[in-house]
Amino acid sequence: MALRELKVCLLGDTGVGKSSIVWRFVEDSFDPNINPTIGASFMTKTVQYQNELHKFLIWDTAGQERFRALAPMYYRGSAAAIIVYDITKEETFSTLKNWVKELRQHGPPNIVVAIAGNKCDLNDVREVMEKDAKDYADSIHAVFVETSAKNAININELFIEISRRIPSTDTNPPSSSKGFKLRRQPSVTKPRCC
Amino acid sequence: MQLVYPYDFRLTEKEKTNICYLSFPDSYSGGLGDTQFSFRLRQSGGQRNTRFGEDGEYNTEAPLTLQRESAHYFGYVYFRQVKDSSMKRGYFQKSLVLVSRLPYVNLFQSLLQLIAPEYFDKLEPCLEAVCNEIDQWLPPVPGQTLNLPVMGIVIQVRIPSRVDKPGSSPLKQINQENLLPAPLVLPSVYELDLFRCFQPVLIHIQMLWELMLLGEPVVVMAPSPAISSEMVLALTSCLAPLKYCCDYRPYFTIHDSEFKEYTTRTQAPPNVVVGVTNPFFIKTLQHWPHLLRIGELKMSGDFPKQVKVKKLTKLKPLDTKPGIYTSYKTFLHKDKTLIKRLLKGIQRKRPSEVQSALLRRHLLELTQSFIIPLEHYIASLMPLQKAITPWKNPPQIRPFRQEDFMKTLEHAGPQLTCVLRGDWLGLYRRFFRSPNFDGWYRQRHKEMTQKLEALHLEAICEADIVAWMKDKSEVEIVDLVLKLREKLVRARCHHLPVKEETLQRGGLYIETIIGSLPEDLQAVLHHP
Repeated sequence: MALRELKVCLLGDTGVGKSSIVWRFVEDSFDPNINPTIGASFMTKTVQYQNELHKFLIWDTAGQERFRALAPMYYRGSAAAIIVYDITKEETFSTLKNWVKELRQHGPPNIVVAIAGNKCDLNDVREVMEKDAKDYADSIHAVFVETSAKNAININELFIEISRRIPSTDTNPPSSSKGFKLRRQPSVTKPRCC
Repeated sequence: MQLVYPYDFRLTEKEKTNICYLSFPDSYSGGLGDTQFSFRLRQSGGQRNTRFGEDGEYNTEAPLTLQRESAHYFGYVYFRQVKDSSMKRGYFQKSLVLVSRLPYVNLFQSLLQLIAPEYFDKLEPCLEAVCNEIDQWLPPVPGQTLNLPVMGIVIQVRIPSRVDKPGSSPLKQINQENLLPAPLVLPSVYELDLFRCFQPVLIHIQMLWELMLLGEPVVVMAPSPAISSEMVLALTSCLAPLKYCCDYRPYFTIHDSEFKEYTTRTQAPPNVVVGVTNPFFIKTLQHWPHLLRIGELKMSGDFPKQVKVKKLTKLKPLDTKPGIYTSYKTFLHKDKTLIKRLLKGIQRKRPSEVQSALLRRHLLELTQSFIIPLEHYIASLMPLQKAITPWKNPPQIRPFRQEDFMKTLEHAGPQLTCVLRGDWLGLYRRFFRSPNFDGWYRQRHKEMTQKLEALHLEAICEADIVAWMKDKSEVEIVDLVLKLREKLVRARCHHLPVKEETLQRGGLYIETIIGSLPEDLQAVLHHP
């Protein structure tokens, strides 16, 4: 079986649960008192997808503002980016949109973008409507799921969906895949003033 | 010093001062931009313990040349100097220094190449992130390939092991087409591009190898710390697999705390190789027997210009031309075929790595030819297996007698494996007086002693203890228990080459013996 290594980075505001999602996926555990990530932490997990083995090289970045400038090192060369927001905090969804913009401008072309609305177990204090997020994700052709790292909801599904969107190596040329196109078409690229 | 990471890493004031001076070029070199070099400094007090506390295990499995140092630090420097009008001096000048006890020059310089430019740009958080990532790296295990995640990429490198076949190519490039992004694969943690380092001195390789073998005091004077440090590291590495046991300083400045110690004229020059750039050293180290002056590389046609051997009296402090200033005469003749092959390689534009491999193999074979007779002789000093009996102390290793060794050379000398001619006997005699012989002998003696202890322990564990106990008094039996216990503890602490099985059998024996004793004694022995 062919092994593919896929670099995946997690982006998003501080405290939205990026590390918790990774821990749930890799170790199947949850710690409510996890420390804020410094810089980034690295983990791997290999899963089977159809007739391939996908080894995810996961770079879980720090959400804190002081590490903001380091993000390019982690999304550089990534096959996929998981942008996480907290469904109970409206402002984390605005941050998410900024990440999408940044990836569009500086990220690798054809990167698969997945949006994860985490903490869906806290429906009572929800601030971001699922439909709004879903519509936004569709508009940019991104994967979308609401997740709960705490209750292990949709975590594996998130990564399976990423595997599905990754252009396969030989059968299909990359252009025919449903990959998220970040680069604007050259024809539309016009210098704009701010 | 602007910033130290991790915060709890304690350095003494002296070490700090030394690191500061060693992290910058000490004479103006006009070369703006980025440069990388290495240094080595003596530890002065301060913390002795290493993070892993597992030096023992790493050091017994790593090649001798890659052991973790206990009394020195290595410093790996990335220095940047660019014009910047916003700075008071008109320049941005900063060094990022990585300090380690491991001589992994290639790994750490590659790492700095990744980190430093990002650090100069993104400052402290970058260093914080990187150190946090490095903290999660697994400790190096000889023989294993490490995957080292840092700044969004994974560095892959193999840690050599003592049981590797010398000269074998370390990492086979596996098919990595499918890997996105491909990891940064380093061919070696420590090997330098020997050919590039030795370009101006290719025709003097034989002399340089002998000077290193004999641990002679050598000054390398180079136009920059990058050139001096690479040359010194290349020189000390050319004895592998033999360990270069003297001190060496890839880059050394007049501000170093060992400056007085090294430059004093009241004693003979120390057995050190120092790399310097400040011309002032030519005057202060005038009394040293060998000085290698290299300039920027010059080409004559396709070939790198070779420096000449010159008399020490030709040394002029202010205008010293490139050359090897020495009155040393080599014991062995130089290998003209090697030089021809290297020159032909240049003509054919053979890649530098291939030339380096050629050079490295030559040096390896030369060292092995030299050392094999010594290995044979020292192995013959080991007592016979049948002399090891369970109920007596292990027999002694016989003493090393130089004259006895010399006699073995007639039949089993280096002439069997090496075509080089010359005064091999003279070379051995000189070698016996060098710290490298001392280091080699101590290492072998230690290994043999441990082997003897291990064999002795095995002999005890295989003996028929019950039969032995029959006519023994309680005192003798208790004595055996205590001695055997001590031996087992030693075997574990010193990582003696004993099978786990043997150790367990030893433990069981102790239980059996104790079980045969009266109850009051049993209680005492169970709770020592």
